[in-house]
Amino acid sequence: MQVEFSAKQVRLRDELRAYFAALMTPELQAECQRDLGEGGGPLWRAALRQMGADGWIGLGWPEHLGGRGMGPVEQFIFVEEVMRAGYPFPFLTTESIGPVLAEYGNAWQREELVPRILAGDLLISIGYSEPEAGTDLASLRTRAERESDGWIINGQKMWTSLAHFCDYTWLAARTDPAAEKKHRGISLFLVPHSDPGWHCTPVHTLGDVRTNATYYDNVRVSDQHRVGEINGGWRLITGQLNRERLSLVNVGPTAVLFDAVADWATHTHTVDGRRVIDQDWVRANLARVRCGIEALKLMCYRQVWAMSKGQLGMAEASAAKVYGSEFFIEAFRALGEILGQGSLVRADSCPQGALTGRVERLYRTASIITFGGGTNEIQRDIIAAAGLLMPRATR
Amino acid sequence: MNFAESEVQTDTRDLARRIFEQRMGSQELAGFDDAPEGRFDSSLWRTLAEAGLLGISVSDLHGGMGLEFAALAPLLEEAGRALAPVPIIEHVVLAVAAIEIYGDRQQCERWLPAALAGDSLFTAALPHAAEVNCTPEGEALRLNGSVALVPLANLAQYILLVVPADRGQNVLLVDPRAPGVTLHPQRFTTGETRFSLSLDDVLVPPEQLLATAAAGQAAGQWLLQRALTAHCLHQLGVCERMLEMTAAYTGERQQFGVPIATFQAVGHRAANIYIDLECLRLTARQAASRLSQELAADTEIAIAKVWAGDVGHRTSYAAQHLHGGTGIDRDYPLWRYCLFARANELALGGSACHLSTLGEIIAAGGARCS
Ligand SMILES: Cc1cc2nc3c(=O)[nH]c(=O)nc-3n(C[C@H](O)[C@H](O)[C@H](O)COP(=O)(O)OP(=O)(O)OC[C@H]3O[C@@H](n4cnc5c(N)ncnc54)[C@H](O)[C@@H]3O)c2cc1C
Repeated sequence: MQVEFSAKQVRLRDELRAYFAALMTPELQAECQRDLGEGGGPLWRAALRQMGADGWIGLGWPEHLGGRGMGPVEQFIFVEEVMRAGYPFPFLTTESIGPVLAEYGNAWQREELVPRILAGDLLISIGYSEPEAGTDLASLRTRAERESDGWIINGQKMWTSLAHFCDYTWLAARTDPAAEKKHRGISLFLVPHSDPGWHCTPVHTLGDVRTNATYYDNVRVSDQHRVGEINGGWRLITGQLNRERLSLVNVGPTAVLFDAVADWATHTHTVDGRRVIDQDWVRANLARVRCGIEALKLMCYRQVWAMSKGQLGMAEASAAKVYGSEFFIEAFRALGEILGQGSLVRADSCPQGALTGRVERLYRTASIITFGGGTNEIQRDIIAAAGLLMPRATR
Repeated sequence: MNFAESEVQTDTRDLARRIFEQRMGSQELAGFDDAPEGRFDSSLWRTLAEAGLLGISVSDLHGGMGLEFAALAPLLEEAGRALAPVPIIEHVVLAVAAIEIYGDRQQCERWLPAALAGDSLFTAALPHAAEVNCTPEGEALRLNGSVALVPLANLAQYILLVVPADRGQNVLLVDPRAPGVTLHPQRFTTGETRFSLSLDDVLVPPEQLLATAAAGQAAGQWLLQRALTAHCLHQLGVCERMLEMTAAYTGERQQFGVPIATFQAVGHRAANIYIDLECLRLTARQAASRLSQELAADTEIAIAKVWAGDVGHRTSYAAQHLHGGTGIDRDYPLWRYCLFARANELALGGSACHLSTLGEIIAAGGARCS
């Protein structure tokens, strides 16, 4: 076994790190902080187009799909660096929908949409969840019905994140209500937000993250907007979710945070004159977080390596998602304890980019990926069944 | 041994719950989400004063009920359950108690009646949050430094401060309007505005000193014990409410055609929180009982605060997780509780810090089990 990057990969990482250091101007950083780390502002958009023009988006995709053919490890290095830099990267569009469209899309989708994704010019939100369909996604009720040569769509989606600044929603809709198995009656559509029947209202959350309820009121799309087979949507959904999982638990931002808290504790003094880091419990907290980061890093690298060999296992992917999402919660807590009351001050009362405000907010956002992206209970079911070959519960 | 709640405690709990339930619905609470003037409901405060709840633990000589510390426990727990926007810890548990116990007759007569009647408001900050230098100036003290995250410093008549002294600590009241005091608003994790105080050559006259040097050290220690215990009791109320919401919600919410509560993973995670809460409840109430009886309590309080931190963290994340997206949607009430659980967890040091305190007690030969 060898964990280290090749010399060429190290050069790529260094190049990307320097690239992002220059790209993340103070103005862009301020805009991202204002937009609560979600992006969508004009400088954010310009930076994304710049990345596209410089050939970074999709660098790891095969050349025949429009990428630079570098491979999954290089693609992962790119995502880790962009996330380390604190740029809210629209990885749902670029890392999970993009590749699925490139592989399974029709000619229009491959020739018109994919190049725009790679250019940083097209953003797509994900419309799976509904008020009554969360974990039980296959019970979704939003309806798409045939109308002459196109489709007419009606229903409501919930938690359609980023929809307020995206161009399309990647929408799962029921096309065969009579299907014997619910998941066999679902198809996928790309719904343009310019359609007059499409509406979006904000949902505000604990961590300040904005998400949306989206409404589909006689939305009309041509058959060209359908992705994949009619009633064949489920396979695309699970494929997309599998690709999403690895991005969800990227270790980059937590690694950066760890270094910053360790430095802070080394250079800050307590009321009684000691350095913060001279307290044993602070060292224990830092050491525990460090151990956790190491394991997550190795899990992610191993998965990327497995992907590059075309042998990503279901149980391993689920294990990384469960472990990573639950580790982040403990890491933010342990680092917050070290920062003490300071990590109870909101970022808008801290100097820009201050550690304290960052941890305060991260702690408020960390639960989302334990139930989002395929809830951890279901991931554990997958681990038991696929990893341990244990019999499944009947449901 | 007696684990039952006393009659007074039950009465206090019923009274407090009735008032909070009547006055603090979701809509009323929402009005305090981004409280730019601090999180304070003056009319609720007056109601509590009229019901006598601000003077539970104050001697009847000063117009209080003359009850022990443990009689405050139900009030603190209920305030946590309701997220009541009133400074019970700072005003009742700390400032009023410090004046009563350490103030002279004049100080008591000057401040206690108005404080119990709800006519004047006190707030407080303990040394965890203070970097203050104190120098004597005749009979007075001169303060320089800063104190972070003081609630309601803008509205309070006085701020109770415990600050380091040459030998020991000084416990004193600072007038936030005195020359040299500047208030800088800071947004707290709960959304409310708190204040960081800058103190530049602030003179605190002798009539505002409650205890100094060695006596101040003991007073500061006594106040810290009360504050820690109060946060544990408040945390208990916050977490109980989160667990109740979770039990109710998972019983209603259906996925796969059944209530999600019927999935074993869901039921067990909630049951684990039930067990956690039992641990917090017992350790927190034990700490309060030790304080009431004036028994040594450092060990019991450190233990309770470790549970308060751990259980707050675990309850918050279990409740969020078991609610799915609804748990963090601001149109549903759980999210507010998550913020207060976090604030209590870190108030006066998180679990890791108190584990280390407990370890020091053990290393010094204390905290033995028999
Ligand atoms: C901020 C945010 C952003 C989101 N972004 C998007 C998005 O862009 N697009 C999108 O489509 N969706 C999005 N989601 C929705 C997300 O995918 C759902 O929240 C998730 O699928 C869980 O569904 P739910 O919230 O309805 O919870 P529920 O399904 O109601 O689950 C509640 C609890 O029950 C448990 N549970 C459910 N079924 C079982 C079972 N069989 N066994 C054991 N436990 C079970 C769950 O684990 C969970 O703890 C987002 C959500 C949030 C909060």
